[in-house]
Formats: sequence, C-alpha cells, structure tokens
Amino acid sequence: MKIELVVNGQPRSADCEERTLLADLLRDSFGLTGTHVGCDTSQCGCCTVHVDGQAVKSCTMLAAQADGCSVVTIEGLAQGERLHPVQEAFSACHGLQCGFCTPGMIMASVDLLRRHPSPSDEQILEGLAGNLCRCTGYVNIVEAVRTAAGRLAAAEGGSK
Amino acid sequence: MSVNIDPRTGGLAPARDEDRRLVTGQGRYTADWNLPGQLHAAMVRSDRAHARLLRVDSSAASEAAGVVAVLTAFDVAEAGFQPIPGGPPVAGADGKPQVKCQLPILATDRVRFVGQPIAMVIADTARAAQDAAELVSVDYEDLPAVASMDAALAPDAPRVHESMPGNVSVIYEAGDAAAADAAFSRAAHTTTLRMHSQRLAGAPLEPRACLAVHHPETDRFTIHTPTQGMLGMRQSLTAITGYDASRIEVIAHDVGGSFGLRGGPYPEQALVMLAARKLGRPVKWVGSRSEVFLSDWHGRALVLQASIALDAEGNILALRYENQADLGAYTCYFQSMIGTRNLTVTMGGAYRVPALHARSTLVYTHTVPVSAYRGAGRPDIAYAIERLIDQAAAEHGFDRVALRRRNFIPPSAFPYTTANGTEYDSGEFAAVMDKALTLAGYADFDARRQASEARGRLRGIGFGCYLEASGGGVAPKDQVSARFRDDGLLHLHGVTGPSGQGHETSFTQLVAGLLGVPRERLRYHASDPAEELVGNGTGGSRSLYGAGSALKVLCGNLIEHARPHAARALSLPAATLEYRDGAFHGGEHRISLFDLADSLRGASPHPLDCEGESSSGTTFPNGCHVAEVEIDPATGITEIVAYSSVDDLGNVVSPQLTQGQVHGGVVQGAGQVFGEQLVYDPDTAQLLTGSFMDYVMPRADWLRQIRTDYHPVPTRLNALGAKGVGESGCSGSLPALVNAMSDALRRRGVPPMDMPFTPPRVWAALRDRG
Repeated sequence: MKIELVVNGQPRSADCEERTLLADLLRDSFGLTGTHVGCDTSQCGCCTVHVDGQAVKSCTMLAAQADGCSVVTIEGLAQGERLHPVQEAFSACHGLQCGFCTPGMIMASVDLLRRHPSPSDEQILEGLAGNLCRCTGYVNIVEAVRTAAGRLAAAEGGSK
Repeated sequence: MSVNIDPRTGGLAPARDEDRRLVTGQGRYTADWNLPGQLHAAMVRSDRAHARLLRVDSSAASEAAGVVAVLTAFDVAEAGFQPIPGGPPVAGADGKPQVKCQLPILATDRVRFVGQPIAMVIADTARAAQDAAELVSVDYEDLPAVASMDAALAPDAPRVHESMPGNVSVIYEAGDAAAADAAFSRAAHTTTLRMHSQRLAGAPLEPRACLAVHHPETDRFTIHTPTQGMLGMRQSLTAITGYDASRIEVIAHDVGGSFGLRGGPYPEQALVMLAARKLGRPVKWVGSRSEVFLSDWHGRALVLQASIALDAEGNILALRYENQADLGAYTCYFQSMIGTRNLTVTMGGAYRVPALHARSTLVYTHTVPVSAYRGAGRPDIAYAIERLIDQAAAEHGFDRVALRRRNFIPPSAFPYTTANGTEYDSGEFAAVMDKALTLAGYADFDARRQASEARGRLRGIGFGCYLEASGGGVAPKDQVSARFRDDGLLHLHGVTGPSGQGHETSFTQLVAGLLGVPRERLRYHASDPAEELVGNGTGGSRSLYGAGSALKVLCGNLIEHARPHAARALSLPAATLEYRDGAFHGGEHRISLFDLADSLRGASPHPLDCEGESSSGTTFPNGCHVAEVEIDPATGITEIVAYSSVDDLGNVVSPQLTQGQVHGGVVQGAGQVFGEQLVYDPDTAQLLTGSFMDYVMPRADWLRQIRTDYHPVPTRLNALGAKGVGESGCSGSLPALVNAMSDALRRRGVPPMDMPFTPPRVWAALRDRG
C-alpha cells in the first residue's frame, strides 16, 4: 500500500506491506536508522518518535496509521548544527553510554517537557517510565531532563 | 553534578566525543548497516528443551516466496565448521580434566535447550525469511529435561549429554580443605548461609545482529557485529570457520551494550558468513528481543553456600564455600572460569583469613548456556562474603562495623598474599568504610528508622565492603599505535572495543594530558583491521588501565621518536631539547608536535608514526557501598531511599565517565536484587521470562540519587595506577542492598531470603514470619 506522510518536515511517500510497522518504515524505507528497535513488546521505548507532536513508540503503530501524519524522528530534532536543548543536556549530564536507548529517551523527554515545562521529579520519572536504559542507571538521564527544562525555561524567558 | 558551558558555542559542553552522533541518531549500530544486494536471515530454533531431532524438513520453506536458501546442519558439516569454542580448560580436583560439550553451530541429532539453533532461512526480505522460518517442519522425539541444578544433580537424573552421567562437568577446588576444616573445628562461632545468585539476562538494549559479506576475489570476509574487541571475535570465528583471522575483517562501529555477552561469536555470526559465501551476496541477521532472550548467553546462575568460622573475639579463622555453577546445556568461552577462578581468587575478600577453601561443582542443565555477565562471578563472591559477615554478626552478637574493622587487611600488610595464594598490592579498607559510612550518615540512622516506623514502614541500612579482581586479560600484552594522517589529526589505535564506556573520550583525554596537545586533534579507533595489533578486548574492567597503560608508553615513545626530527627542524642537538606543553623547546626556539608532524607530511608511513605496548595484569578495585531501604509491609514494595558509594579505583582518568560506570553497575545490581530473574518451567524447561513483559528490568524510578566518592590508592601494577571500574558497581550494590533488606527484615523476624526481593516475595516473607 502507498503511504504519504511528512517526516522531519519533508513530504515522503513509500510503498509498503500493510503489516509494516512505523519503526520499520522509518528505518527501512527512509533510512532513518536513529529510530532503534530494542524489543518486540513495546517495553523498551528505543523506537520513540513524535507523531503529530506526541511521543509514540513507533513499533506499536502500523505505518498505515501514520498516513497523512507529521512524524519527527531523532534526526529531525536539531536545528542544523544546533542541538535541541534536550540533546545537549543528555550529553552534558552524561545521560548516555552505549547510546542505543538515547534517541527514544530524548524523544520521550522532549514530549514530557512539552507537557510539563517545569516538571517535578515525579513527572520526569513517570514520563520516562516507558523507556529502558541498561547502561546509565538513569540518574544522569533524569538530571539531563531537569537541566534541559531549566535551559528551555531560560530560553523562553529570554525570548519574551 | 557539574554541567559545563562550551565557551565556543555558549551551549552545554558535551561530556564525550562519542555523544554528538549518538544524540542525533547518527550512530551506526549493526542493524543500521545495509549493503547492496543483501539478503536477510531468520533462525529456526528448538521449541523443546530436550529432544531427539528426527527430521528437519525445509522443502516448504525453500519454495516460499522470496526464499533463497535454508541452511541446516548438513551445510555446516559440509563447510567443516566447528562448534562454539569451549573456553580454557578447568582442572578437576580429582585430577580429571573437565568434560566439555560444545554448542554446534546448528543442531545435528539432538537439541538441549529451548532456543537452540536448528536452521537458518535466507530470503530477499527479513519478513519473507521470518515467514518461511515458520514453514520449516521439525520432527522431535521429546526427552525428559532438567531445568535446574537440583534436578540435574538428582539421582538418576536425565543426562544432558549421553557421555556424562550425573551431569557434572567438573568439580573444582581451591584453597586448603584441611586447614579450613581444622579452623572450623576450633571455632567459637560459625555461620553458614546458602545463597542463590539467580540466572539473569544481560539484556544489552541493542539486540544481537550480524551482517557478513564474502569477497570472492580475495576469499576474505567482512562482518559487522557487536563485539568487545575485534581480536576475540576474529580468533573465535577462525576456530569455527577455519578461515585465517587475517581473512576476517570485523567491524563494530557503535555497540549498544555488551556486559560480557559479546566477547565471541554465536552460531548466527558463523552462519551469515557461511550463507554469504555460498550465495555470493551479503547476508544480514537481526535478532528479535524474544529470540535473544532464548539465545544470548545467560548470566550468574550460581549457588554459593558460604561458611565462616570466628574465634570468641570475632577474628575470622576460616571461610569455606560449597558452590554450584549452572553451565546451561553447553560449555562456551569464559563460562567455566566463572564458577571456579573468578569465585575463588578473592574468596577472602578484604579480610585477613588464615584458612580458605572452596569447592565448585559445574553442572549441565537443559537451559541456555551461561557465560560472563558484568563481573562474571566477582559480584557473586563479594555478595556471599559480605552477606555472610552481616549474618554472622547478627547471629553471634557482633557489631557489623567492628567485626569488619577487626578483620580488614591493614595497609601495613601490603603486599598481602591470601591463604589461597592471591597477592593483593594495595588497599585502605577501613578508611574506605569509614568514609562511606560518614557519607551515608550511618551514625544517625536510628533516627531515620524511627521516623519510618512511625509511618508504618520498615527501614534498613546495609553496606558491603567489596574487593574484586579485575581482569588480567587473555592476550599477553596490549598494543596501541599512533598514526599522523593527512587530516592533521593524530589517530590512536587499540584493540579494546567500546560498548558505551567512552573510550574515544577517555583515551584521548589521557593522551592529550600526557602529550600536552589539544584533545580536538586526537581520535581513538578500536580494532582497525589495517593495524595488526595484539591486545585484549573489553572485559574484566581492564580497558582503561590495559590500553591506557600502553598509551602512556606510546606517548613516551612518540616523544623520543620525534626528538631527532625536532632537532633537525630547530637545528639544535637532540639532547638539549625539552618536551613540554605539546612542543619541543630549545632555548628560545620551539616547534609543536603537530607543526613538526605537518612539516614531515608526504612520506608514508608518516615518520613520526609509532607504537606502544604494555602488560597489565589483575588489579584489586575495592570499595564500600551503603544502601538504605524502606519497605511498605502492607504491599512488600521497597524503595531505595539512599545510596552512597566510596570506591578505591586507583587513579581516575575521567571522573564523569567513572561515575557513570559506577551508576550503571549499581543499578544493574539493583536489578538483580529487586527484580531480574530468568525463570524456567521446572517440568518442561521452557523459559517463562522471555520478554521485557516478564523479565523485570530496572527503571528510572528505582534509584533516584547515588552519592559517589572515591578513595584512590594508586596501584603499582600498571603504568596508570588505575584499578578498573566497569564491574565494581555490581560488586558493591549486591551486598549493600541485600544487607539493607536483611537488616529491615531481620528486625521483623524474617529468616534470610534470596534475591530477588520482589514485592510479592517480601510481602509473603513478612506474612509468614515466625
């Protein structure tokens, strides 16, 4: 079947089998391999992307369900050379080691900060409950989200 | 936590050189690679734990749409491929050699665990291959299976391997049984505790994958696959395929975690090589999470029965162990070292113990083979010792701090040789413990306990003073090389392959400091096939001091190697030049190392290129971790309310990355203490925890803060004075967390219980008390 959607601001289309998952469409048809597949039961969150502005585990959604939608992947988060504050904070706080969970963690974090611009620790932990990391022990990931919230708030305050 | 601002961009400064590609989705893990014309593979695995293979019929699969080939044991035999290497032999206590049964690349006449590979289907697309794999028809004759060591050791138990009645691969002994027995017979107090270190999944988040291409013109292979270092992977592929290592190029650009699981190849890596050669096209296999639960080596799976003998004052007279190690169905790689060498080399811990003895029985069961997982026996023995000491203190009325203090090896005793012959070089164990207890506010704990009790919660505090032996390495030395390339950068090459540790950052930080050059002009590369280096892969927490010590030697070599060139450039006698701050200085003249390198460009190899090597053996990282837990007795839910660690890791090169390693290790330990467990059905030996829905992984809300501090006592055992950090977090957190749980539960009369402390088990234990 033919699917048309907007990916990282660009109109894209692909022919794929009906059973194709959004994660596979992004990886196999569009070469966006920053979206990782770490499990087959929607537990790990490595494949998290934004569909129409909301964080979604792209292994949980058929590509067909994204027809006509706007999808943002980890590759579409930075503005040219300038990293998104969440990307920057993950690195600065050493919130990643092997990096495999990182794209999904970052996409989930961007969404949780959209919903909770000044998140409590409880809101951060709840927002990351669907993402697994095996390397970092999470402490620095949570710190990265806190740091990013502060940077985003400062940028917001500065632009007013 | 300090976050630095990058002066060039005004943004936050990155912690590591690796990070930019990884936070932007530009990392390249194995599944991200695709080659023109590639085919896709899917595995057919045994769904029985023990069965005779009567027939494997691939005819329907072969005719399915898109299918190009189906490989079975016949193809493996035709190619002459050998089974998965069985690892170094273990000598039995009775003088008999270990009986080793190796995993065939594809099953021939029998299957011995659920998940064992039977066939590989290769098709145009991954989905076509997966569909066709379901069409491969396998006729089994079911046989009785043993799912646990208890079942395997029972009288008349079904045999995992026909040749081996009793299912015992080897019985190993270390230490002096007679001396230990004599100490026990005159002890004033003794305590025995039997502990399981349950079977775990390593679960790196990148599922295992491989992509091979055969180059017919040269009869060479290129294989993309996650590794811990190219050499180990290549040597084992040579042992399996018969292809000389020089014909196998291994590429691991980014590796999504490893934790010991990825030192050597599994059957799939050999099979994609076989398929790629046979079919003349690249072949790719990407494991699903479900199938890597069934086929990645499992970890831990140990039973430790530990006994301590004390005199009336509390001096330790002896420690004695009766251990069992579950091998799974086959021997592989490092596996047999876990229950033997790794459990015993530091079996006296940080204590003066006049008599030590251990006996380990290595047992075959109808389960996934067990191999190294973060610490590979070291966290387990640290757990056993430290839990046993707490139990003995509680049983015999000793203060657990004082009991440890009385028995620590004092700094004045180093170098100290243990009763079983291990020489420790350094350590200040009492100082480490005191620092950790202060950091944790141990003295004020009672007030916190009372506050918790007032709220109806049980609060416990526990600590573990671990000491472990980091990896001595398999290769006799670690070699590194320095190459000045036309991009104006100095490229450093080593063998050890990262899987999240941050080698590109740590090694360039180290060299930048030693040479006084900007780090931006340095790059580290693991396992470049063009560099024929000898060295160890990542393992045993030894990369930093192994390859790092070689880099330190390399820096010295480089300066001396460059000196005559600098002398010519400055027209000064070489002996008069001083090297500092990245440049050679002679009077008022100077030339920087990189300017000198630029002036010599053109010749190949570059005249300043050189090598360095170093031999670095085992070191003894140690530390004290303190955990505080609060249990809700109404639900059995436990919260880790505080965690503090003080580690002696020797000299620290990259503080932020070191802390990251401690964090990760601590939380992997917390995973084992509070949830992780691979469970087999006792009758069918089917794996019941085959996905992240059934296997509990630690999550973000498990441990909210870790207070880390260090007490570095530099070692003289390597050029850096560093001791290794990668696995120490697990060695500290297992005993600290379990001792904290036991502290809370003991006050309610709950007898010692095993990990994992899941809510239902804790709730039931409290209900059943007394």
